[in-house]
Amino acid sequence: MERTGADIRFENATVTYPNGHAGLKGITLDIPAGQMVGVVGLSGAGKSTLVRTINGLVPLSAGSIAVGGHTLTGRGGTQLRGRELRELRSNVGMVFQSFNLAKRTTVINNVLMGRLYHSPAWRTLLGAWKNDDVELAMRALERVEIVGKAYEPAASLSGGQQQRVAIARALAQRPQVILADEPVASLDPPTSHVVMRDLARINAELGITVVVNLHFLDLARTYSERLIGMRAGEIVFDGTGAEADEAVFESIYGRSLTAEDVLEARAEL
Amino acid sequence: MSVETATSKPAPAAPPGPGRLHQRPARPAHWGRKALWLLVSLIVVAAFWSVKIKWSALADFGPQLVKYLGLMFGPPDWSKFGEAFSAVVLSVQMAWIGTVLGILISFPLSFLAARGLAPRAVNWPLRVLFAVIRAVPEVVIAILILSVTGLTPFTGALALAVGSVGTLGKWGYESFEGVDPGPKEAVRSTGGGTLALIRWGIWPSAAPEVLSFWLYRFEINVRASAILGLIGAGGIGKMLTDNVQFRNWDAVGMLLLVVIVVTMIIDQLSGAVRNRLVNGSWRPPRSRGRNRPRR
Amino acid sequence: MSQAAAPSAPYMGQRPSKPRRGRPTAAAVVVLAAITVWAGLGVGVDLAAIGRNWQNAVVNTTQLLQPDYAFFPKTIPALLETLNMAVIATFIGSLLSVPLAFLASRATNPNAPLLGAVRFGMNLIRSVPDILYAAILVAVVGVGALSGIMALVLFNVGIIVKLVSEALDAEDLGAQEAALAAGATWTGANRSAMLPQILPSLASQVLYTFEINIRASTVIGLVGAGGLGILIDNVRSFFRYHELSLIILEILVMVLVLEALSSALRKRLV
Repeated sequence: MERTGADIRFENATVTYPNGHAGLKGITLDIPAGQMVGVVGLSGAGKSTLVRTINGLVPLSAGSIAVGGHTLTGRGGTQLRGRELRELRSNVGMVFQSFNLAKRTTVINNVLMGRLYHSPAWRTLLGAWKNDDVELAMRALERVEIVGKAYEPAASLSGGQQQRVAIARALAQRPQVILADEPVASLDPPTSHVVMRDLARINAELGITVVVNLHFLDLARTYSERLIGMRAGEIVFDGTGAEADEAVFESIYGRSLTAEDVLEARAEL
Repeated sequence: MSVETATSKPAPAAPPGPGRLHQRPARPAHWGRKALWLLVSLIVVAAFWSVKIKWSALADFGPQLVKYLGLMFGPPDWSKFGEAFSAVVLSVQMAWIGTVLGILISFPLSFLAARGLAPRAVNWPLRVLFAVIRAVPEVVIAILILSVTGLTPFTGALALAVGSVGTLGKWGYESFEGVDPGPKEAVRSTGGGTLALIRWGIWPSAAPEVLSFWLYRFEINVRASAILGLIGAGGIGKMLTDNVQFRNWDAVGMLLLVVIVVTMIIDQLSGAVRNRLVNGSWRPPRSRGRNRPRR
Repeated sequence: MSQAAAPSAPYMGQRPSKPRRGRPTAAAVVVLAAITVWAGLGVGVDLAAIGRNWQNAVVNTTQLLQPDYAFFPKTIPALLETLNMAVIATFIGSLLSVPLAFLASRATNPNAPLLGAVRFGMNLIRSVPDILYAAILVAVVGVGALSGIMALVLFNVGIIVKLVSEALDAEDLGAQEAALAAGATWTGANRSAMLPQILPSLASQVLYTFEINIRASTVIGLVGAGGLGILIDNVRSFFRYHELSLIILEILVMVLVLEALSSALRKRLV
């Protein structure tokens, strides 16, 4: 199958927050096009920072990240801004923990937000979308099997349905990369699997590079071909799910596995 | 572009079965919404069409405005600042007395207008009274009171008081009715009467909001007191209209600055106190922004 | 009495001393009373005058209760002008307010200096009463509805921008973040992610403004800016209370009908 993803190359990527907290400590990492990568770690380990630097939502302090043909750099470098930054972002779809939909408007309008970069300002302001864009949005909704809700207000959907709309919004961008920041943290276990399956299917069928950070180790193992473990802003594990044994786990979490870290166990609680 | 083919593959055929989610719905027509928009547009067009205005006057509005701003502020005439200052103080005093009297009258009435605290037969006439008062502009109320107290600042204050009763009364009963039922039931269950209910079941919860409404009404009355000067009730409004009439533009400029500065100071002070009452902090609540993306 | 509890003592088992919250409250009451006395002296509060002249009030009230309906045809042009002014001012005011509200909210305007400038300008506009705008504009553009409409527009922009930008400040920023992450401009993200969220409160503000305009446009005529105010000015100078009463009745009916309409609409919007 044709792979249409972009590769991502971190070069000594460093993020220091204004309060002095180190988010990323000189990460160097290579993600080939079309790979599905799961990032795991405790909260505060830097996994969210890692994902959010890829589309510039969190700016780098030093180092660089190359995404497809674009390069994000830290302060002092030629930082991407304005149209160039937006072009990079238009190639990178993002899925959020709390779905981030405009709840009062329709599902289709939410998905069309994925086309904002490609629409002229007057069309955006009038809400007069190109027919091609509407078609693209409808196809994206069909791919996550929720097109029937296209004209309903987003608020009327369940959490799982809202997250699938958010995935459709990312797909409508025709992205080379999809980032997912804790996409299932607000969902119940069965719905979590539906959403993760959607992401895995998109990765397999469309060849889009997917970077997803997850709290639950078992979900990450099941759905990603490559697992990255983070601790205190550094990568402490990089390998396949099969290689991630108890010892690896302890190096990531600094303690042994508990029910809190596994989705299935939590489901039984 | 290399992603050209990303989503242009044929969509998977909709599987059979309970697949409403797989079918593209028809675009809803929204007839009601369209009719409403049509009606609103018609009203606006009709208003523009029927209003008698020399739109040509707009053509030289720009130059005219520049000319008058120049006359007013280039530079303002500060010679009458003392007089202006005492006039603005008088306006603020009118607003204060108007608000205090308004509170004294509306406070008991708003309890009587609240459902559950007084019989329905008492609620409704009061609510109608509040609505009627709200509908009448303060100037008109002042014209009515004029014959009783003469053309004095006190007339202005009374007019503001009566005007305040309309809004304060309404806001009052609305917030008394909106109080969480828990404490109310608790007081009732201990056998407390209506007075005990008001003091211990309602007032503690409603107080911050109601106090903040009082201050807000004071802010409104500060502005309204300037209007009352028009009919001769005194204060900054009278001085302003007099100077506009005699085209003392440099004095008008000074007066405007005085009004703006005093109003802004009062708004800031009152706003800070209202925030303190409602949110427990002197500053307005911060926007719920988090992880703000940067440019 | 005010013995400090030892940290190791069984805290919950000990009676604490009553917190002295009473003192600031008492101080506030004293200050407020002092302001009231000072303001009362300045205004010249004369409750006795009401007692002396209450008969006047009775006479006026009885006159007011007998509106002169024969006067109605003469009020029609002014009535229509008031309505026209209110509609046009609400329309123009709302159109101007929407972009300004987005510029005046911390949530939708990332440019701090511009944000500050817009907010300051809006505070400035709001601190001048509508009637003063009308008085000055009458001098600048002449007597008539145009100056009234302009005064109302300024007044409306002040109100709508304040209330709508506050609604924007309180809005959830998730969808906006998502739109920006998809490569949208701030304008694009605000239009498609924020505008739909505040549409109900915007609509209800516009309706509220229309109500206020009806009320205000009856007054600004006093300085020659068109509408019913001009009539009010005429009848008041001759103490024709039967006619004034009809005008008040007309305002009353318009405002009450509008209030009923807009509260019905508002219920459907929210």
